[in-house]
Amino acid sequence: MTRFKRPTRTRTLVALAGVLLMSACGEGRQSVLNPSGRDALLLYDLALVMFVGALVLWLLVGGLFVYVTRINPREMSRGLAEGLIIGGGVLFPVVLLGGLLVYSLPLMQAPREADEGMRVHITAEQWWWRVEYELPDGSRVTSANELRLPVGRRTGLILNAHRVIHAFWVPALGGKADMIPGRETYLSFLPEEAGTYRGQCAEFCGASHALMAFEAVVMEPDDFAAWLDAEAQEATPPQSEEATRGAQVFAREGCGSCHTVRGTQALGKVGPDLTHVGGRVSLGAGILGAEAPDFVNWIAHTESLKPEVAMPSYDHLSPDDLAALAAYLGGLE
Amino acid sequence: MTKINENEDAHEFRSEAVSLWRITFGPLIWAVHFAASYAATALICAKGGAVEGLRLGIGIGTGVALVAIAWLGWQAWRQWDLLCDRDWENDQGTGEDRHQFLGHAAFLLAVVSFIGVSYVALPALLIGTCR
Repeated sequence: MTRFKRPTRTRTLVALAGVLLMSACGEGRQSVLNPSGRDALLLYDLALVMFVGALVLWLLVGGLFVYVTRINPREMSRGLAEGLIIGGGVLFPVVLLGGLLVYSLPLMQAPREADEGMRVHITAEQWWWRVEYELPDGSRVTSANELRLPVGRRTGLILNAHRVIHAFWVPALGGKADMIPGRETYLSFLPEEAGTYRGQCAEFCGASHALMAFEAVVMEPDDFAAWLDAEAQEATPPQSEEATRGAQVFAREGCGSCHTVRGTQALGKVGPDLTHVGGRVSLGAGILGAEAPDFVNWIAHTESLKPEVAMPSYDHLSPDDLAALAAYLGGLE
Repeated sequence: MTKINENEDAHEFRSEAVSLWRITFGPLIWAVHFAASYAATALICAKGGAVEGLRLGIGIGTGVALVAIAWLGWQAWRQWDLLCDRDWENDQGTGEDRHQFLGHAAFLLAVVSFIGVSYVALPALLIGTCR
């Protein structure tokens, strides 16, 4: 028996170490072990306290068990046995669990705290994110599949969903919240480190659930203000010859009936707003880069890249047309 | 069986019937406290009402529930009568054992209910907002 046990145990340890190491992949862009915001840090500390506490408890109980059954197996006095059962079985867990409750309950407040003057409305679609920044005057700047936040300021996220339930989660920045059709849920983030993090839909929402991600870009407050100013502007179509032809392909193929490019004839609301799509970090809700070949790949193979998505694959377009479209869209910065 | 014996049995069964009810009182108070706290919180938070009033109400309700459960527990503890005879098990089929066993069960249920009510009240004590 023992001969088989050892290697199994070693293998388990190696596997566990591997799991821990894997979390370091991608510099923790999508990891709870890389807390980069106040809320994620609270959750990280909470998990640490719980895990270490559970480990200590496990060692204590296991040690006691080994002590009374192996090291010192003798009959106990009635008083000691009653003390162990009442003290170890009732009083200790009640006090410990009570203490953990008192410690952890107030932690639930931070992620629900009110914003400090900045609110973002996020609506989950199948399978992408409609993102609207609310300006102080109440008007909204529409974007998609990317969340930009200022560092050091609490931003309120007002969450909603279209058709089915989704869940919003940026592990490096904070907790998770359900997104429910017809019902507003709320979460707030206080990012503490500038950087590009990754969010992911965390509630099964259909065929392409796993392909529903987004980039969360945390910026210095000045950079953020400048970015938001630019994002609020209408599109400035790129002027190169190829891009101009791309704009014609865009109009000819009817892209504007689903997508909006503010300042042009394209006013569709079904798909993501493309006014500044060239300035984004990713395409297809976090599944592709944002270079010209990615645009071509996405437009020509939408349905194989994202099964059951509403947008058809435009694989009938010639390579020239696709390249022109990519030049146009990539130029919408 | 004589007339007197029958009367004695009838009297004892009647008292045990009450005691049988009594063991449910602890969990019953817990259930009522739980339902009332959650219902009041849901209603008042949904209507954007006064959180401080809600917390005060839950505080008073919790105090009343805990005192009632403690009293039930004390009664049950006396019925169990552990310290006098040091008898944990009460497993004989006699009237006395039945009586003490029900006290034992009621006492343990009162302990669980006391802990349950305290834990249910903690969020209202520690979180001062509906968010």
